[in-house]
Amino acid sequence: MRRFRELVGVATGGLTARKIRTALIMLGPILGVAAIVAAIGINESSKGHLKAKLQELGTDLIVVNASAGMGFGQDPVIEAAAVARVSRLPDVTAVTGTRQLSDIVTVPFAGAEDYYRAFPVPVIASGLDLPATLEVPMVSGRFLNDYDHDSGARVAVIGRDLADEYGYLAGEPRTIELNGLQYGVVGVLDWVLLEPSMDSAVFVTFTSAVDDWELDDPDPSRLYVRAPTNTAMVAQEIPTVVSLGGPDGANASVPTDLLDAQSQVDESLNNLTKMMGGLALVVGGVGIANVMSISVIQRSSEIGIRRALGHSRGTIAVQFLFEALVVGVFGGIIGALVGAGVVWGVAEQRGYTMVLSVAGLAGWALVSVGVAVVAGLYPSSKAARLEPLETLRLG
Amino acid sequence: MTVVDAGAPEVVLALDGVSRVYGTEVQVRALDGVSLDIRAGEYLSIVGPSGSGKSTMLGLLGVLDLPTEGAIRVRGTDVTRLADAERSRLRGEAIGFVFQQFHLIPHLTALGNVETALLYRGLSSRERRERAMAALEQVGLGARHDHRPVQMSGGEQQRVAIARAISTDPGVVLADEPTGALDSRNAENVMQIFEDLRSPERAICVVTHDLHVADSAHRKISMLDGRIVADEALRGGGKAAAGASGGLGDES
Repeated sequence: MRRFRELVGVATGGLTARKIRTALIMLGPILGVAAIVAAIGINESSKGHLKAKLQELGTDLIVVNASAGMGFGQDPVIEAAAVARVSRLPDVTAVTGTRQLSDIVTVPFAGAEDYYRAFPVPVIASGLDLPATLEVPMVSGRFLNDYDHDSGARVAVIGRDLADEYGYLAGEPRTIELNGLQYGVVGVLDWVLLEPSMDSAVFVTFTSAVDDWELDDPDPSRLYVRAPTNTAMVAQEIPTVVSLGGPDGANASVPTDLLDAQSQVDESLNNLTKMMGGLALVVGGVGIANVMSISVIQRSSEIGIRRALGHSRGTIAVQFLFEALVVGVFGGIIGALVGAGVVWGVAEQRGYTMVLSVAGLAGWALVSVGVAVVAGLYPSSKAARLEPLETLRLG
Repeated sequence: MTVVDAGAPEVVLALDGVSRVYGTEVQVRALDGVSLDIRAGEYLSIVGPSGSGKSTMLGLLGVLDLPTEGAIRVRGTDVTRLADAERSRLRGEAIGFVFQQFHLIPHLTALGNVETALLYRGLSSRERRERAMAALEQVGLGARHDHRPVQMSGGEQQRVAIARAISTDPGVVLADEPTGALDSRNAENVMQIFEDLRSPERAICVVTHDLHVADSAHRKISMLDGRIVADEALRGGGKAAAGASGGLGDES
């Protein structure tokens, strides 16, 4: 134990005597460990964020898209009768149909075309229960209602991002211009996590869509179906329910499955970043070996003196190995802290909850120690092999 | 070959028919069958021109090198048969070194340099410190224990080196041209310290080509072409003569 303390003392003495060099060789393990810890931490935190998001979204929403069954040449739709059949399924609690309208230029007010055409704004004809089905609240105002639908009034609801883009204030009476027609904005829908494209969309009633945009029929091309129980089974039978044994007129998916898959896909990115960090560590190790080898030559006289004073080859080797060890330990700890700091910063900035495993931090710091010690093997054996007579220049 | 003589002091360091050959293809016989006993309390000098083999002999006496033939005995133990760890330990315990270029470790203080000789001996840090301080006091540098080598004059650095050499209380102090890098006043001072360091238990062996330094010893070994050509007792007298007869008797 006493000998261990003495060795640590000698090693740290040798390192602190050359502060800049020590800092430089420590940079390798610091960067390596910081890179790995940050990459894994950010990934884990964002995955945790995704999982929280999944929890928030609920995993019971099914998205049904019409597919070209029999009708060629026109947009596939789901007929009203099929929508009714879906809504009568026992596990289904809510159904809303939507249909995106094409070729509509949207601007906040007349004359703004030149500036705003750069932003393609989806215009969506929507059923009246969209907020309830998606479980998304209104930021302000209200959604489209029965009166709008029956009267065919030119009213619209806009997504939250579009409201920001166009500079709408909550409750402010404003209009929006769709292909030259003025629509009154009655409400702003909050962010739709599952359908981010809706955040910058304009919603109108099917009546308006038919009246103003020459839609042939008020049939949706997409259904949002909420089925809190047996979600997967319901998703499986919906195509059959829609097309009644004919050629498939629809396909159904559960979007949270996609998010789930997304969090799996991150695994490969994770491995890549681990590899990059590992590479940085190895390069750091090569740096340690390199600088320490030069250092051994420069300190050959010191090594000769120590040998003359009775330190054995083994002691000299261990002394230099300890210097590498100290570099690895401090490099690892500082690197882990820097990495954790980066994760904290990113999580703070993106609103994630920071996910960081202490065992992981310690583990990567240990890897840095291992790399440093392996890197120190060659210079220390070189130091041990030095002949004291050659370095002391007697006579 | 050790001369068993109840009256004579213990042989602390001995070369026994030692040869040292350098090189493999072109061989240089730097030392050729040399025998020499150094006894406790002796103050001897080794002189000779460049290439006479005195540096080679110093390296072998200090167990920093191993002979091609023959034995090196430290207090009777043949170190050529020992493993490096054991040989190093023996070197550290029995021999103190003073070099021409001082060879202090630049990043350590005077105290740290002296303490380096006391590492790995099972001493507590406090004991180590106390012994190092005592050695520094002995060479008159106690007050400068926290100075680094660059903050000291050559003479002071050499005194730190001497403190380092004696801190382990070795049986023999080997000095290689200890005054070679010093002006005459500092050289005088250092030689006086050597004179003072002599004790019945400790031998001092100075390798030099400075005849003035060589003559301040009590026994003078002259080297030429890898052999001892003369082993004279100087004003010290009897004790040195006993060692000389042993050393010479074997060679001739």
